[in-house]
Amino acid sequence: MKIFNKDDKMSSLVTGNYNLLPVINRFGIHLGFKEKTIGELCEEQKIHTDFFLAIVNTYNDESYFPHSELLSFSPFLIIDYLMTTHQYYINYVLPKIESLLNQVLLTCEKDCSSLKMISSFYQKYKIELLLHFKQEDEKVFPYIKELYRTKVIKDPGNTLAVFENEHTNVEVKLGDLRNLIIKYLEPNYDCNAMNEFLFALFQFEKDIYDHARIEDKILNVQVLKFEKQLKKLKGIG
Amino acid sequence: MEENVFIIHPSEIIRKGLAWILQEYFSMEITQLAVASDLSSFSEIMNSLIIIIMDADSQIPDETAKKLRKNNHLSIVGFFGHDHKDGNCPHYEFELQERFTALQIQQLIQLVRKSATKQKTFTSTNGDLTVREKDVIRLIAMGLANKEIADRLNISIHTVISHRKNITEKLNIKSISGLTVYAIMNSLLDIKDINPEELI
Repeated sequence: MKIFNKDDKMSSLVTGNYNLLPVINRFGIHLGFKEKTIGELCEEQKIHTDFFLAIVNTYNDESYFPHSELLSFSPFLIIDYLMTTHQYYINYVLPKIESLLNQVLLTCEKDCSSLKMISSFYQKYKIELLLHFKQEDEKVFPYIKELYRTKVIKDPGNTLAVFENEHTNVEVKLGDLRNLIIKYLEPNYDCNAMNEFLFALFQFEKDIYDHARIEDKILNVQVLKFEKQLKKLKGIG
Repeated sequence: MEENVFIIHPSEIIRKGLAWILQEYFSMEITQLAVASDLSSFSEIMNSLIIIIMDADSQIPDETAKKLRKNNHLSIVGFFGHDHKDGNCPHYEFELQERFTALQIQQLIQLVRKSATKQKTFTSTNGDLTVREKDVIRLIAMGLANKEIADRLNISIHTVISHRKNITEKLNIKSISGLTVYAIMNSLLDIKDINPEELI
């Protein structure tokens, strides 16, 4: 397990784990690093280096999750990152997965009913996921930003605890989709096309797992604590 | 079982030296930490054999140890320097002395691995569904709630829940819509029996 630090070369990050490329891109960092270190490039791009490292390291290693360090970052920083990630999913990952699935469907020759079921399962999953993103981008995140700006709970009946958390459900379906294909779907399709679809699915699963982890275990924990403090203050005042 | 190896010691020389010696036994990179509290960043590890070789005088924070133990097999090896004085350091299941020979180190690692496999209980995950489980999955796919399934099959609601748990474990499919797709793909149910728009 390698934990990257600010003195490591940015190029070593990508050679160490190429799956980090889209994560780095989300911060506005692009290839052509030369000999620059992570710290130097972050400074150049005006990126919070410790936050960048925390995100990159938790992504790189599922077992690494420095709670207390992550909890120390500003919720604005975290929300910005989460929203950029949503855009990446919506504009790039989901359309790509869908087009790869369509490719698989095109290669199916006879009795494609099971594959079609898988496809509609995916469609439903996608709709649910997009709704979930929309709810966060349009309701949850603006609420949190407002809360930190005004330091006032406007409506005690409308706090973070009230927003339903659907992450588990969304994650469960993605796992189900993968297992149905791997274990039970008749392989009457072109296997290369299916592999490409599955690779994209695996990568997305990992990405969204990490994303949900930052949201549930860091952002939400921060906000719930902040809400509690505000309520207490109000009680005293 | 996946292995995760940690070396916790304030001395850089000892950390690096130990890691260098141990790397031939383990296929993954060994994580080196200077202080035991840094281990808390790894408390999310699951289903692994975690081997922690640590300075006999330091201690893992209780909460971290508890979390790791809950989801993993945890083996802690105390590292005793040659000048170590028997004080009130915690008791270790395994001990590594600074002056161990290569052979003794090898034996120790074998011992640690053996103790982990002994305790591991394998839950069988292969195995087809029983007839009853197929009944249950069919009704789940048709959108029935636990109570309705119990009434329909004349069994208690607890039995239904236990069947559901077994089904989920065997198939590794957790959502109702996933189970519905499974049921149709395996001809337990005809697509005409359900409303795909609504259920999937």
